Amino acid sequence: MQNRGEGGAPPITPKFSMSAPSIVREKGDHFSLFGLPRKLWIEMSSLEQKFLELSWKLHPDKFVNASPTEQELSLKSSSELNDAYRVLRDPVARVEYLLELEGMRKEGEHKQQAPSELLEEVFELNESLDELREAKASGGDLGSLKSRLESAEKNFQEKLGEVDAQLQLAAKQWDAAIDADAGDANRKAIMVRLNELLNRRSYIRNLVTNVQKELL
Amino acid sequence: MARTVGIDLGTTNSLVGYIDPQTGAPKCIPGPNGSALCPSVVSIDEDGGVIVGEPARRRLLTQPERTIYSVKRLMGRGVADIQDELKLFPFRIDPSSKNVIRVRLGDKFFTPPEISAFILRELKNWAEAYFGESVDRAVITVPAYFNDAQRQATKDAGKLAGLEVLRLVNEPTAAALAYGLHEKQRGHVAVYDLGGGTFDISVLKLISTSEGDIYQVLSTNGDTHLGGDDIDNLLQAFVHDKVLQQHRVDFSPHSELAQELRKELIALKHQLSEKESATLRFRLPSGAVFVHEFKRANFEGLIRPIVDRTMGPVRQALVDAKLKPSEVEEVVLVGGATRTPLIRRTVQEYFDRKPHTELNPDEVVALGAAVQANILDRGVSNMLLLDVTPLSLGIETYGGAVAKVIPRNSTIPASAQEMYTTGVDNQTGIDIHVLQGERELAKDCRSLARFTLKVPPAPAGLPRIEVKFLIDANGILQVGAKDTRTGEQRTMEVQPSYGISDSEIERMLEESIEYAEQDFAERQAIEARTEAETILAATQKALVTEQAASLPRAERESIDAAVAALKESISGSDYKLIRKRIDDVNQATMHLAELVMNSAVSTALQGRKLAEV
Repeated sequence: MQNRGEGGAPPITPKFSMSAPSIVREKGDHFSLFGLPRKLWIEMSSLEQKFLELSWKLHPDKFVNASPTEQELSLKSSSELNDAYRVLRDPVARVEYLLELEGMRKEGEHKQQAPSELLEEVFELNESLDELREAKASGGDLGSLKSRLESAEKNFQEKLGEVDAQLQLAAKQWDAAIDADAGDANRKAIMVRLNELLNRRSYIRNLVTNVQKELL
Repeated sequence: MARTVGIDLGTTNSLVGYIDPQTGAPKCIPGPNGSALCPSVVSIDEDGGVIVGEPARRRLLTQPERTIYSVKRLMGRGVADIQDELKLFPFRIDPSSKNVIRVRLGDKFFTPPEISAFILRELKNWAEAYFGESVDRAVITVPAYFNDAQRQATKDAGKLAGLEVLRLVNEPTAAALAYGLHEKQRGHVAVYDLGGGTFDISVLKLISTSEGDIYQVLSTNGDTHLGGDDIDNLLQAFVHDKVLQQHRVDFSPHSELAQELRKELIALKHQLSEKESATLRFRLPSGAVFVHEFKRANFEGLIRPIVDRTMGPVRQALVDAKLKPSEVEEVVLVGGATRTPLIRRTVQEYFDRKPHTELNPDEVVALGAAVQANILDRGVSNMLLLDVTPLSLGIETYGGAVAKVIPRNSTIPASAQEMYTTGVDNQTGIDIHVLQGERELAKDCRSLARFTLKVPPAPAGLPRIEVKFLIDANGILQVGAKDTRTGEQRTMEVQPSYGISDSEIERMLEESIEYAEQDFAERQAIEARTEAETILAATQKALVTEQAASLPRAERESIDAAVAALKESISGSDYKLIRKRIDDVNQATMHLAELVMNSAVSTALQGRKLAEV
């Protein structure tokens, strides 16, 4: 299946993960690189301080006159440091990463179907989007359509805020479960909840982005 | 030890800077005519001799077909990319060139890296004459928004000029370094850099730590085809139309007359930064004189679209840095085009803050490059630069979509691992297409490389090949692959979509003037010996650490043996043998180097924990 024709998609089966550097498998994970437990609340200023301190030690600029081995190690470890910092400082990426680490969220298995209670609103939204595209193409009146979409965008933005609040709550529950050394079943239940919330968030986020694109 | 310099390889002018050991301050090195600005113009004379800088610029009028300016616009680009530029610039492109442009100068063809190498070599000569000793290492600046191919082309140019490129540094970051020394700024800094051909905006955070100052780039954005050249093109088109209307004279934008007009218009543009009006008097071949008075207001009306085009990237950079304009404490203007009053006003209004213009906007990037060259040269220092990749790195998936694996504005070095497997039984190859850019479809992004992963025949889905994409501290992509079932490293030929292959670079090097003068093998031996000495010094340092003391006797003995063998080989001139023994020492000390590095990391973490108590 060596379809290498012009413009055709290559026959690859990529599976995309958030970020799972080799350090995860070989030595440790993003959390342990920073000396942190696998918890979701991270104190940002101390994370930044550790990042800067480790950067002083590992950055390739510090190894310009070193042996090629040391240069290669510096490149490898400073990229792992930067990758880890990028993931941990972003609250959503951090949750995704934790779930991957715990085997909860498989690479590339991100559900994109609409959450059932949103179906009706999403249907309406897509209809409005179609109408707007048609009106744009035929040069029709955009005013009323735009205001309808703007209020829909506001509505979904609010929903995004709700999901974020729920995500925060679930994250707190996770941290509490770790502190209490809770059993697997309890932790698994929280992870299922986190995973649902992430999928829901990514779905709504895409909707908002699509609407914003059309409104530009 | 030979000197290390910082070089600003600009679209219009190039400069070379160094750190004055007496004062510790960066300085630009003047050329033979006393000016530190070397016009980025190259001309080839009838005998094949290379003329660079001011003398070449004069030949733009007399020998336009043998002379080229603004070659930076062609770096890392393919013929299809530059069709728009060809309407405006008198580039004579070899019609057979595709992914690497070849430009005709007289009766010879040159690639953009070769032409840039002539400019770099000229600056190297300036510095060598100034110091009275050789210069063989340099930091070279590039626009922050340069993509992988443009960066690689710049690095190639350095190599062709006989320079070891220690680092490619982003121009706005270099400017921030120069200003940081000058002003002792802290907090958030925005650098607005409008050069001859490129526009960059970078947002940095300046942080003081107990170990020194960190310059952390938070975001960068820009346009690699927007600059002072575009202002000149607008003026030229404007005058060309007027001349056509009034005098019925039409002339080719590539003619000598057009070059003459361009020169006049650049002088006029400079006058309009100082005065409210300026008059163009341009003699036509018929003897008639075209006269037009430009008022500053008309001029600003004409160039406003260009200034407006810079503001989109400015807004995006702030959004990416998660800052409001009012949260930026300092604004720095860089690049000759920022002398334009309209640009100063526009930037000042947007940030509601008077921008810094204290340092000469033509020199500030070279000064910053000199600062970074000095930091790297000494290895240890109380300053650290953390830069970002300007564009997202992605991989083509089904249906021509792009999956982003490293987002833009990630601190570099940055990496991503992707696992690949086969879709059908006994598939022997997996094709991978790597791209750079923000768009969702592969056809709208910049193709960096295509390659095929070789897979041993196996049932579909069984092979597990991990591909690692790594963007190094120069912003250049490296790719490695590993079969995770066998642990076997897979090498692959990554053919860059744009740019010169490594073997072509080698051939150019061998053919270049410097190598013709000196025996190739001898030159190789000198380089190998220098490298060997660096490694021996580094190994010596590692051998006196605590970690070395705890090594098993056998491991220590194998290191000692490898070191002794390398020492013995450098007295000879067999460069292949020296290279092999360098590899042996590297192999023998790999484990020790890891131990030392890990210990540095855990010390850093422990230090932190103690501080937290």
